[in-house]
Amino acid sequence: MRHNSSRDLVIPGPAGCALMALALLAWCILFLKAEEQIPILVYMISGCLLVLVAALSDLHKSISATIASNEAAWDGCMIGVMLLLMITFRDDHYTLLLLGTIMAYATAVLGLNVQLGFTGVINFSAASFFGIGCYTAAILGTAGWPSLLCLVMGGVMAALVGCLLLAPVLRTSGHYAALVTMAFALLFRVFLEVSDLLGGPQGVAVPPMQMFGVDFSQAMQLWGSECSFYLRYDIALLILLSLSFAFVRRLERSWIGLSMDAVRSDETASACFGINIAKWKIVAFTLGNLLSGLSGALYGMMLAYISPANYAFADSLIFLSILLLGGIGNSWGVILATVFVVVVPEKFQVIQEYRYLLYAALVLFMIIYRPMGLLPRKVRNYGRLA
Amino acid sequence: MSALLSCTDLTMRFGGLTALDKLNLDVAKGDVLGLVGPNGSGKTTFFNVVTGIYRPSAGTVVFDGQDVTSRTAQEIYRLGIARTFQRSRLCLDLTVFDNVMIGNHKNLDMGIVHNLLARGRFRAECKRNLERVKTLLHGLNPALVKRVGQPVSMLSMIDRRRVEVCRALVSDPVLLFLDEPSAGMTHDETKRLMDEILVLSDGGKNFTVVLIEHEMEVIRRVTNRCVVLNFGRKLCEGDYETVTADPFVKEAYLGTELD
Repeated sequence: MRHNSSRDLVIPGPAGCALMALALLAWCILFLKAEEQIPILVYMISGCLLVLVAALSDLHKSISATIASNEAAWDGCMIGVMLLLMITFRDDHYTLLLLGTIMAYATAVLGLNVQLGFTGVINFSAASFFGIGCYTAAILGTAGWPSLLCLVMGGVMAALVGCLLLAPVLRTSGHYAALVTMAFALLFRVFLEVSDLLGGPQGVAVPPMQMFGVDFSQAMQLWGSECSFYLRYDIALLILLSLSFAFVRRLERSWIGLSMDAVRSDETASACFGINIAKWKIVAFTLGNLLSGLSGALYGMMLAYISPANYAFADSLIFLSILLLGGIGNSWGVILATVFVVVVPEKFQVIQEYRYLLYAALVLFMIIYRPMGLLPRKVRNYGRLA
Repeated sequence: MSALLSCTDLTMRFGGLTALDKLNLDVAKGDVLGLVGPNGSGKTTFFNVVTGIYRPSAGTVVFDGQDVTSRTAQEIYRLGIARTFQRSRLCLDLTVFDNVMIGNHKNLDMGIVHNLLARGRFRAECKRNLERVKTLLHGLNPALVKRVGQPVSMLSMIDRRRVEVCRALVSDPVLLFLDEPSAGMTHDETKRLMDEILVLSDGGKNFTVVLIEHEMEVIRRVTNRCVVLNFGRKLCEGDYETVTADPFVKEAYLGTELD
């Protein structure tokens, strides 16, 4: 009976997706507009309660069924929500930077998802590869390279530096592979601080993105009103995130994703069925670092100034916590968790200082009570086969 | 008659332990060969050496006329040897279809364009494979066909074994290694599973079987030849009656009589 009533509650099809997206948009606008701590807290708690109600009743089943059967509509709705949020906050530097941070981090964590979530290659230095992207954009941009090339090179450099790490990563497993990447993360920060070329502890300026004759650091006009220059970057980041998301999802729903899953689950069995373990680990590690580097390069241009403090080991841990919170292997989970991890400390200034403590507690809580994450990974769906 | 698989003086040492000691073993095409012996006698090690998980310390393995000694597991799989494992090595969170497709790796197109961009062609390939998996599953247990999209963790032990057998068979191997299929199952279930496998092999015409098994009843019913191992050496060889009557085998299993 309960099942029936909940089914009636949700309008199926694309209309259902649009309705859910509208509700999400309304909530996001209210939440982001709120500036006092009390309303923020009220919105936050009401949002959490709604999610809890959906999770405890059968509602979440209807919702995920609607989304699963109208995937294209849902994807479009989510892009629409992001665009509408950007337009709503078009003159608000702070909120647009926040949205940009979410999208850049989400792209990087999608890369981590390919590495750890699919293939089981542990990487405690995701922020370092993100940083390699930023610094590449800074150095090449200053040298006068075209912006788009700087962006691509950011990803390529991260992937190439990742290749240096491959030898020790492939030779070790489990804790030892983790230690290798941790060592790299710590060394990377030290290297940035002592390198004169990279600006040392003060950091370097990153030249702005210039594309099609448009300078991204200049304010733009939209329908006669002045908008924040962050708006262009946000659109670029949204494009990068959407492409990365589509790429990672297709990767998952292919034989490549299946082979990666096999490598993660059982290396012996995989080898006995002809799967080249080293090859897929290399592919996953490189692709993941490429995504981190690409998003890093674009984010660096958006920030305009970067310093080693942004690429510490703790930041890599944040990337990892996002993946653990969201649900290892689930791309939508990555996005949900990125929003949570980036927005909560920004909106609750009280928490800001204690955010690492909060993340640590959250991750521990998740590992103990919900090890599959907020949105557990679904079984593979190769697309319509009927 | 030339043997399908021929091992000469095959030796595997782990430090001071000799798990296989100059083993000479031939498998003829169409055989259902039983490999028996007490725990630790080297049966699984033999599988692991032949399938390329371990590199033998000495000796040669010739498969289908080719020397495959110290080839990698990937290469040996591509030559047509597939196996199941003693402890289930399915990926529990993946679906039945996914698990079986892992076994079909050599027939899948792993190209980037094919997998990521030409999704229409990819789905067509996927669909063909789905039909094939369903046919295979139907041969083992018709009820499994409906569960092809479910995670393996939701299946019973015997169905998981069936999926493992499907995974080994989906690539049309020449030689199938079954490592203790009865582990964790009842007598009845083992009997059913072995009958199903024998039907699929069509009396050795479709593929040759080497079976590790502790349950002698299974060995008696399904094998045409047995090899008894003890301490990595071949104790004796022959049909079930010969082997069970052998005094050395009795000694290995039961110990010597007191004078």
